[in-house]
Amino acid sequence: MKLFNPHDPRHLLTSALLVLAFLIPFVIGSNLYYLTILILMLIFIIYASAWNFLTFSGQGSLGHAAFFGLGGYAASLMAVKLGLPPLVTLLFGGCFAALIGVLIGLTCVRLREWFLAMVTFGFAVIIQTLIVSQLAPVTGGWDGFPVPKLVPPSFPGYLMIEYYLVLLIAIVIILIFRYLLQSRIGLALAAIRENEVEARAAGINPVPFKLFAFGVSAFVTGIAGSLEIFHFGYITPEIFGIDLSFWPIIYSITGGLGTLAGPIVGTIVVTLLWDGLNSLGLTYARFIIIGVLLVLIIIFLPRGLVSLPDEIKKRLKKRRS
Amino acid sequence: MDGTIGILSQVAFWGLYSGCIYILLATGLNLIFGVMKIVNFAHGEFLMLGTYITFFLFVISGFNPYVLLVGSIPILIIVGVIVERLCFRPILGTGKLNEIFISLGLIYIFQNLVALIWTDEWRSMRSPFADILINLGPLQLPLDYLIIITVTAMILVSLYLFLQKTALGRAIRAASQNRRGAMLMGVNVERVDMLTFGIGAGLAGAAGTLWAVSGQVFNPYMGSIPAIKGFAIIILGGLGSIPGAIIGGLAIGMVENFTAFTLGGSWKDAVSFILLIVVLVIRPTGLFGEAEE
Repeated sequence: MKLFNPHDPRHLLTSALLVLAFLIPFVIGSNLYYLTILILMLIFIIYASAWNFLTFSGQGSLGHAAFFGLGGYAASLMAVKLGLPPLVTLLFGGCFAALIGVLIGLTCVRLREWFLAMVTFGFAVIIQTLIVSQLAPVTGGWDGFPVPKLVPPSFPGYLMIEYYLVLLIAIVIILIFRYLLQSRIGLALAAIRENEVEARAAGINPVPFKLFAFGVSAFVTGIAGSLEIFHFGYITPEIFGIDLSFWPIIYSITGGLGTLAGPIVGTIVVTLLWDGLNSLGLTYARFIIIGVLLVLIIIFLPRGLVSLPDEIKKRLKKRRS
Repeated sequence: MDGTIGILSQVAFWGLYSGCIYILLATGLNLIFGVMKIVNFAHGEFLMLGTYITFFLFVISGFNPYVLLVGSIPILIIVGVIVERLCFRPILGTGKLNEIFISLGLIYIFQNLVALIWTDEWRSMRSPFADILINLGPLQLPLDYLIIITVTAMILVSLYLFLQKTALGRAIRAASQNRRGAMLMGVNVERVDMLTFGIGAGLAGAAGTLWAVSGQVFNPYMGSIPAIKGFAIIILGGLGSIPGAIIGGLAIGMVENFTAFTLGGSWKDAVSFILLIVVLVIRPTGLFGEAEE
C-alpha cells in the first residue's frame, strides 16, 4: 500500500488539503476567532470520524455524546485531581470511554438498528443523570468545574500551538482508521456490515469485531471529548446534550457514510455553513437549513457529498447517450 | 398506615395520568411501525407541535382547552401526511439507518421552526379546572387528571372502533399484517402509509394537547424525552402491538412516578432507559417481540 500516488486525484486532493491545513494559520495570522473555529473543526473531524467508524461495522449510535462526555469528564478529573498534564490525561479519557463503550457494546452488538439507536440514545440520558445526581460531589453537578487548558494561555501564540497539536492528533487518528480499514479487521467489518449471516458462514464471529469497532469508536470519541474540554477550559454536563450526539451523524451523512473522507468533508462543509449562517444572524433558521439539507441529502444524495463528482459524471453521461 | 396507602395510591394515580401521554405516543409509533416498518424518531416533535398549537389556539380563541383537541388532532394529521409524503416515502426500503437519520433532520426542522415562531422560552398554560380537586376517600384527585384519563380512553376506544369497523381501518390492519398480500388484494398501501402516519401524528398531537392542558411546561425542545420513553414502551410492549403499547405505557408511567417518589425527581427520566436496557440485555428482541430472519 503506497501512502502517496501522484496519479491518483484523491491523493492529490488529500495532500493539497493537508498543505492547506498546515499553512492556514499563517494566512489568517493570529485571528483568535478563526483559529478557534479551525480547532473546533478539527476536534469534530476526529469525533465524526470516530462515529463513522462504527458504521463500518453496520452499527450506529444516537448517543455518542455519552462517550464524548465521559472522555471529557475522565480526562479533566484526572488533570484537576492529580495535576497531570492534559496531553497525558487525554489518553486516560479515551481509555475510560473505550471501557464503558465495550461494556455498553456488550448489550448493543446483539441489537438491531432501531433498538441500538434507542439504547445508545437512552444511555446518554442515563449518564447525564448520574453525573448531575449521584456523582455530583465529584463532578460539580450542573455547574461543572474549570479545567486546565491543553496549552497554557501564558505561552506566546498558544492557540497556534494548540491548533498544530490537534491537527497532528487528527492526522494520526485518521491514518490509524485508514490502516484498520485496509487490514483484515476492516474486511471482516465490511463482511459483517453487508450480511451478518453470510459473514458467520464464512467463519467470522461478528461479536468480537463489533465490540472492537465499538471500543475503538468510543476511545477516539473520548479523546475528541477531552480535547474539546481542554480547549474550552471548562466542563459542564451539557456535553451530554442531544445536539452533541447528532452533530457527528450530520457531519458524516453530509460528507458520505462509510467513507474515510466523508466525515472530514462533511465537518468542513457543515461547520463553514454553520458559522457563515451565524454571521448572517440566522440563529434558529440555521438549524432549519441544516435539517433541510440533511433530509435532502439522504433522499437525493444518499452517499453524501463525497459521491457528488461521481453523480455528476453519471448524470452527464446519461444526458449524452 | 392509612396515610402511606393514601400516598401510594396517589402516586399510582399520577402514574396512570402520565402513562396516558406515553400511551398515545407509543400507540401512534406502533401503528406506524406496524404498517411501514419504520420508527419515526421525530415523533416527540409532533407532541411538541401539538402543545404549541393548543397553546396558540387557546390564546387566540379562549375556548376550553379540551375542546382544542378538535384543532390539534386534524392539524397534526395533515402535518403527518405531509411529512410521510415528502420525507419517508422516498426513502422507504433504502435501509433502516436512513429513516433514523431523516428523523434527525426533521427534529431540527420542527424544533427550530417552532423556536422561530414562538421563541424557545419555557411556556405553560392554565386549565380552567386547575383548582378543582375531587376527594375520593383518602385520595385528592385533580379534576384535570381525571378528564385526561377519560379523554385518552375515549381516543383509544374510537381508534379501536375505527380499526375494527371501517374499511380504511381494515386496510390498515391488512397492510400491517401482510403488506404484499394487502397490495395484491387491491389495498392502496401507499395511501394507507400516508393515512397511518397521519393518525400516528394525530395521536401525538392529542398527547400534546393533554400535556399542555395538564399544566406541564413546554418549550421547542421538550419532545425528545417523551419520544424516547415512547420507544422504550414499544420495545417493552413489542414492536407493532397496540395492546402492548397501552400496557407498556401504563407500566412506564407507574415506574417513573414511583421512582421519582422514592429516589428523587432526577431519576424520573433515567429509570425508563435503565429498564429498557435491562430488558434488551435479557431479550434482545424486546419483551414480546419475536425473532426475525
